[in-house]
Amino acid sequence: MQRYESDVCIVGGGITAAMLALKLSELQPQLSITVVEAGKRLFDAENRMAYRQRSIDYAENAWPGDFIEDQAAQGVISRTMAVGGSALHWGGTCNRFSEEDLRLKSMFGLYADWPLAWNELEKFYCEAERRLGVSGEPSPFAEDQRSEPYPMAAMAMTHNLIELKKWAEQSGIPFQTTPQAKNTEPYDGRAKCIRCNTCTVCPTGARYSPDYTFRRLLQRKNFALHDQTLVRKLVLDDAKSTVAAAQAVNYQKPDEPVEYRAPVFALASGYCWSPHLLLLSRSPRFPNGLANSSGLVGRYMCGHAFQSAMIEIDAKIYPGMNEQHGLISRQFFRVKDREHFVRHDLRVWESAAGHEPRLRGADGRILLGDSLLADWRQRALRGTARVRGYYDVHPDRDSSLTLDASAKNRFGDPLPKIEHRLDAATQARRDVTREHFQQLFQKLAQAGNGKVLNTGAGNYLDHPAGGCRMGADPAASVCDSFGQTHDHENLFVAGSPTLPNAGCTNGTLTFVALTLRAAERVAERFRKG
Amino acid sequence: MLIGRRTVLRWAASLAGALRVSSVRVWAQAANFPADQADTLRALAAVVLPAELGAAGVDRTADAFVIWVRGYRAGAEMDHGYGVTRLRSKGASPAPNYLRHLEALREALLSGDMESKRQAVTAALEQAKITDLPRTPDGRHVAADLMAFYFRSSDANDLCYRAAIGRDLCRGLDGSERAPAPLKGRA
Repeated sequence: MQRYESDVCIVGGGITAAMLALKLSELQPQLSITVVEAGKRLFDAENRMAYRQRSIDYAENAWPGDFIEDQAAQGVISRTMAVGGSALHWGGTCNRFSEEDLRLKSMFGLYADWPLAWNELEKFYCEAERRLGVSGEPSPFAEDQRSEPYPMAAMAMTHNLIELKKWAEQSGIPFQTTPQAKNTEPYDGRAKCIRCNTCTVCPTGARYSPDYTFRRLLQRKNFALHDQTLVRKLVLDDAKSTVAAAQAVNYQKPDEPVEYRAPVFALASGYCWSPHLLLLSRSPRFPNGLANSSGLVGRYMCGHAFQSAMIEIDAKIYPGMNEQHGLISRQFFRVKDREHFVRHDLRVWESAAGHEPRLRGADGRILLGDSLLADWRQRALRGTARVRGYYDVHPDRDSSLTLDASAKNRFGDPLPKIEHRLDAATQARRDVTREHFQQLFQKLAQAGNGKVLNTGAGNYLDHPAGGCRMGADPAASVCDSFGQTHDHENLFVAGSPTLPNAGCTNGTLTFVALTLRAAERVAERFRKG
Repeated sequence: MLIGRRTVLRWAASLAGALRVSSVRVWAQAANFPADQADTLRALAAVVLPAELGAAGVDRTADAFVIWVRGYRAGAEMDHGYGVTRLRSKGASPAPNYLRHLEALREALLSGDMESKRQAVTAALEQAKITDLPRTPDGRHVAADLMAFYFRSSDANDLCYRAAIGRDLCRGLDGSERAPAPLKGRA
């Protein structure tokens, strides 16, 4: 058996692992850190322009090799498994949650509070924005007050966004541009955005992705990145309840088991694979898996639901100016009381929907050449706004990740199965929520002589999280607000799994903020000796 | 009736041989596309692409389509999606299908007036049950795919809006607050 020892072993190689390792290496430069990731490292940034072009021309995967065929989970929203994780191809959206997300119980009598004060989290939001390189503009709402400005000026609104903002604000709802981890000036060794309109594969590095952090970390002599290595189980010290080792297998040498030993282990494998590993690590002493004396590992799996609309408007929109940059209103982050609880963000993007070229005209006849172009031009006279609201829903205890005995990987390990369920209060609000959005879309449309082309509800929970929720009470949570598990003092869970609820806007900035805070607690252990 | 081992082996050998021959043929057809159908492809382009491109522009688009077909990689990974996710890969090269379609249209496209050519292409698309432009060319019919290749392109987007939007280009942030400039040389 191949054995590796380090001071900290981080399981998982996405944005959470990158931020945890980076901050730890700054706070305690003498620490040796090993990151173990099942996927490959895709560090060939020099090929990204070519991958982007193949993606445009042939719909090929712009991140070739970013998955493991038999390491799949039922209910996940992304198959990406590579060094950098989902944040290789994220849109870079960096919205903050609001205080309401942390105080649902005390403010509205709903679900649960976080064991963390808003001011404390806000401090780490600022740090997360600095580290990721977020460009943004201040919110028009006093409740969104920030203790530090954004590190970079907001990305300029394109002609399209200027038109869309004019239109959307006629409804009386204030909008601002969405903050993004995209450089509007050279930042942290990465280039300024050159508006390629393909942010999911940024060919210049202007949009942050964790591979840049890992490449920087690899220049340190006491940092190791073991990719293509799947951690299959955590094992405890014989006499204590501390984790002694992570047992793994390298995909290139599957017959030679690998073991990682460290005084501290941190799971940074996201909402799916972190609780999955804890459940896989069951033993006669811990038959329900590790960190699971509460029975809540793989419970309270969360995310937010969404409602969307395409609205045709009287504005000259030129589709393709910068499709990934949009507007957000935070007006609906605040609600009066529990009776009016429909919390959501409200987003607007440019779109070509309803105005794309088509083969058949309104009468069903085939259009060729000039007639197709004439039909397209006629329909493109008006613009389209893509509108979406991510809304706050709360998980039931039985919103679960379980081990699926009917689906196993090549090593015989049962794979995860995620089934989201919403709590009774959320279900009771379903009709009111739907009606709220229908009225809101109509209000937006009517204010600007627009027409709702279609509406739709998401069939999955976006920006998922949970599975190892934080809390002050060990009977009702898996870890504390630093991600330190209640059951094993040297085992941390970082980032998305620790969220009790997923708010009503993109979660990545929150995952990173919590991780940066956790890093201080981990570093503190080593300061104490 | 029991089938003898030797018979099974003979069948297997001939099947493997056929598959090898078949895949070599597909490769050759893709590499040499459009072979002796270059004039048919250009004639098709003149029917299904907008006249605003001009004769030279139509020919350039047909040539770009040829390069696209030759650059197609059968079996290449596709994006696995977000939300509802699944692993997918590109299908076989569309070149053999295209050659058959072009052969079937050859006579109509290389003789007759524009109206009869349009009718022939329309009939072929109806027969192939093509209901809309594919998101990307998918091999079901060369006429639909040539149209998708062009009309879903950044250049066609510019032509539709008569503006230099440059959707698929890396254009820089400066000046993006202004409406895109009108297309040069076009109304």
